[in-house]
Amino acid sequence: MKQYAYYPGCSLESLGKNYNISALAVSDELGVEMKELEDWNCCGATAYFPVDELLAYTLVSRNLAIAEKTGLQDFIAPCSACYKNAYTTNKYLKIDPDLAEHINYALEEDHLHVEGKMKVRHLIEVFIEDVGLEEIEKKVAHPLKGLRVAPYYGCQIVRPRKDKEDVENPQFFEKLISAIGAEPIDYAYKTRCCGGSLIITNRKAALDMVYKLLQDAVNSNANVIATTCPMCNVNVEVYQSQVNREFGTNFSIPVMYFTQLMGMALGIEPKRIGVGASMLSLAQSTAN
Amino acid sequence: MTERIGVYVCHCGTNIAGVVNVAEVSQWSGEKLADNGVVIARDYKFMCSSLGQELIQKDIKEQGLTRVVVAACSPHLHERTFRNACKGADLNPYLCELVSIREQDSWVHTDKVAATEKAKAIISGGVMRVAHHEALEPLRVPIHPDTLVVGGGIAGIQAALEIADAGFHVYMVEREPSIGGHMAQFDKTFPTLDCSACILTPKMVDVGNHPNITLLTWSEVTKVDGYVGNFAVTIKKKARYINEELCTGCGICWEKCPKKVVDDVFEAGLGNRKVVYTPFPQAVPKYPVLDAPNCTYFLKGTCKACEKFCPTGAIDFEQKDQDITVQVGNIILATGWDLFDVRRIPQYGYGKLANVFTNLEFERLGNAAGPTGGNIVLRDGKTVPKAVGIVHCVGSRDQNYNPYCSAICCMQSLKFAHLVHERTGAEVYNFYIDMRTPSKGYEEFYQRLLEEGTHFVRGKVAEVTNIARVPEEEGKLIVQVEDTLIGKQRRIPVDMVILSAGLQARHDAKEVGKLFGISCSADAWYIERHPKLDPVATMTEGVFIAGCAQGPKDIPASVVQGAAAAARVLGKIQQKEISLEPVRATINEEQCSGCRICNDLCPFSAILFHEDTMVSEVNPALCQGCGTCVAGCPAGAISGTGFSNEQVLAQIEGLLMLNLKRLEAVPA
Amino acid sequence: MAVELSFTKEIENIMYASHGKPIKDCIQCGTCSGSCPAVEFMDNSPREVIGMIGANLKEEVLATNTYWTCASCYQCTVRCPAGIDIADMMYALKRYSMWKGQYKEGLLGPDFSEAFVKMIVNSGRSFEPILAATYLPKYSARDIIQEGLTATGLVLSGKMPLLPKKVKRLKNLQRMVRRIIPIGETK
Repeated sequence: MKQYAYYPGCSLESLGKNYNISALAVSDELGVEMKELEDWNCCGATAYFPVDELLAYTLVSRNLAIAEKTGLQDFIAPCSACYKNAYTTNKYLKIDPDLAEHINYALEEDHLHVEGKMKVRHLIEVFIEDVGLEEIEKKVAHPLKGLRVAPYYGCQIVRPRKDKEDVENPQFFEKLISAIGAEPIDYAYKTRCCGGSLIITNRKAALDMVYKLLQDAVNSNANVIATTCPMCNVNVEVYQSQVNREFGTNFSIPVMYFTQLMGMALGIEPKRIGVGASMLSLAQSTAN
Repeated sequence: MTERIGVYVCHCGTNIAGVVNVAEVSQWSGEKLADNGVVIARDYKFMCSSLGQELIQKDIKEQGLTRVVVAACSPHLHERTFRNACKGADLNPYLCELVSIREQDSWVHTDKVAATEKAKAIISGGVMRVAHHEALEPLRVPIHPDTLVVGGGIAGIQAALEIADAGFHVYMVEREPSIGGHMAQFDKTFPTLDCSACILTPKMVDVGNHPNITLLTWSEVTKVDGYVGNFAVTIKKKARYINEELCTGCGICWEKCPKKVVDDVFEAGLGNRKVVYTPFPQAVPKYPVLDAPNCTYFLKGTCKACEKFCPTGAIDFEQKDQDITVQVGNIILATGWDLFDVRRIPQYGYGKLANVFTNLEFERLGNAAGPTGGNIVLRDGKTVPKAVGIVHCVGSRDQNYNPYCSAICCMQSLKFAHLVHERTGAEVYNFYIDMRTPSKGYEEFYQRLLEEGTHFVRGKVAEVTNIARVPEEEGKLIVQVEDTLIGKQRRIPVDMVILSAGLQARHDAKEVGKLFGISCSADAWYIERHPKLDPVATMTEGVFIAGCAQGPKDIPASVVQGAAAAARVLGKIQQKEISLEPVRATINEEQCSGCRICNDLCPFSAILFHEDTMVSEVNPALCQGCGTCVAGCPAGAISGTGFSNEQVLAQIEGLLMLNLKRLEAVPA
Repeated sequence: MAVELSFTKEIENIMYASHGKPIKDCIQCGTCSGSCPAVEFMDNSPREVIGMIGANLKEEVLATNTYWTCASCYQCTVRCPAGIDIADMMYALKRYSMWKGQYKEGLLGPDFSEAFVKMIVNSGRSFEPILAATYLPKYSARDIIQEGLTATGLVLSGKMPLLPKKVKRLKNLQRMVRRIIPIGETK
């Protein structure tokens, strides 16, 4: 089994618990091993950069250093914000030796050293690129036929540019959805922001963004919205009722992590992928 | 040293004298370099002036100078001035050396003491070198009076007509079935709103009928050998499958042809054409072309309708591509531009949202001979838009795509606005960052559009979407943009969006440039000899560029460049002979081992390899004297007249002042 | 020779230098503001703020809510034709504003960020209930009740931990933090 240095991030231990258990269950099923980093710390999400940039990079670097110590090649983050932080920090460590020196000076206190040699990837990339869509298709026990899935990329998985796909119209999520037998729907706001931490600091703005996103997904006849980030998932799922109150709508569309959908297609028991514990029941709106 | 060397140190006003102590340098040269042959050293305010030059000439005559060293600005500027001055005093011009103590000294240093010492070293180098100079005569090569013009757009047409009207023969090569270029696709031209075809076709007809022009359409250049005055160009005439001797251009073949394909070139994908076709009714020449890859006969062996119905039997399915070689003295490249691919900007919706059009598509919409008969309608072919949004700067002025401005899109966008007003009465919104209307009549044209009630929104469009948020937006295309003049994000519903896509170099510009021995800039436009003072010549003698191939420009500027290139060519032809700089590399045959390393190093493709004798030879007419092969030859078999090993090593010795140390070491 | 830095230069200095073009390259085209999903909630559009920085209007910039309304979605950054990393500039403005302690009244962002930083320094991991203490006092009664309901739902579905987690080598982490900036002496 290929091993990956797995960085769950704080959300996956609390609000995103279902993401974590489904991610591990799916990885297990597909023959890849996610080895959780020991004693990892919070990456700071979007809250550290408003205070001190160097400290923000240092916090992320501690996790990268811990990963480098394991000798594994890939640093996997399931949360888009953690992924974006780790990716950009890793990049800067490589191209800016002054930054690396300063950070390593701080890391000495925990007997760590970072070089920037990890390959930082989002969890979804491991399934699409390493396991491969063909392999996944083969292992699908219950293709999700007729299920119209809105792939919600959100912002930080594609932006800023990470030397990958087209930032305006990426297609990798759709391909994965097709591979598990479901029908990916095409809708304009798939990479539009969910509001992120604005849900706390400027609720009005965030609710407006969630509202527009829900409206587009629902108008495009989605049965379920699939996410790749716990922040996006919480904003779009947990606050749907607030959106309804604020804008006089009556959205009740289920929002699930892509790993949960994969788990269902691969035939993993609901308990192992956190289905049923979802706030809004999927059963209400699946076609089958 | 039996040479008698004169050293002249220029003040260049305060440019040199402000940093270098020119009087001290001049005096030093006269004293310390006397043992190296310096018999007189002077300094003067402006050596390049007539008085300065006369100073040199006087000394040559009175002091019997055999060599001259001028320490002044860069040779790029005044090498020719001083060489001519020497020539005027009957001293071979190549016995004069100009060393730069301005660009390489006074302009780059602030430490006056150090700069003065450096000037001395530079002059010392020049003096040591010039002793090894030889009297050279420029090469004279005959100029073949024929000219090759590549590209049949407006720039190429202008160039060809000027040369042909002057009585000299021109070969015009065009890769499409007809000449006319992009201008033939347009409806109207700014700012006069002349019908494009009406002003273009008379010139096209002139080219087609001109006794001095051999028109080769549906053809491409495949090889260029030779050098200025003597190019041997191989042209592939692609098979038209039409016998031009028999064809009358009656048009029955394309009428009867049962197969239609999308016309991606002339109709910009908006309309169709037949498999055997002429691209547009006024095509020159009138002969159609058969598109073999799409032809039923070539694909399946059936049909042949065109052959059956042709009254003169001009269809020839057996026709083959033909290679011909022509001799020409000069070449003008006027190969034009390609359109920026707007699909690279997915947020503008082209391809996804039906009623988003490119500028070329809109030209075809508006053109009376186009697929909609000149009616401005949506993709359904019948609905007339009530509101149109025109987006400026698509793919231009953008680090993510092309950083340059495409020069014509503001005027083109204004022109579209006018046409939409005129033909549909729709509301028109132009979304711009700046309004670039510099030339004659252009600002007035903008004024006219303001008076017509065009809505100008200053903001670069962020997205074009069909996701409605309010009822007024349902079923419309929404242009989302910040109206920067009022500081608000606006969503403006329209029926049609026109993207003013930018101009780009032809997709194969680099390969084509290599054929002719010229280079492209980073943006792939051809590089001119000097961007301000010599925009139509290239660094390769005998090859000129004109029109958009050199960079985005409007029709008047393309015409001007075509005429300028023609004038340069005519000037060369008139001289019957041109003289080339004798500073060239030569290969010592006996030392050459035939390794051919130099062949590929040469940036001007000036080195030939003789298979029979297994040695390389430098073509002196193509060689620009860059010295790359001299450095690259592992056997040291190549040396340059004007930069021989002795000359360069002597100059280095002089720069390091080893000549002085040596002299001082000699006991008195 | 000490030079008084202009506000423009100060902001440029705070932006991380190794990527993106300087904000003085801005041609004021408005693509950023046209793309921003939160612009309707901003006092000034992102483009306006860049203009204000260029004009050295420090007080006005600090007083606007624009950069605290930024969600860091980076749509502006990827589309900017001048190659400026505008989202990063928003972070730089946040840092400047926190450093000077100067920002528009009634904003929750500054307190939230400060609480978050303190929380990480104290435990190395994020724990939502602590953060609630920063913003709940500023919410309306209706919103507080709503938050309570949401939270209850989350706890019942097992998604809200009741106890904060801590990093094992917390002391090392805290010393590490202090090597960067001197915080963490509290509690």
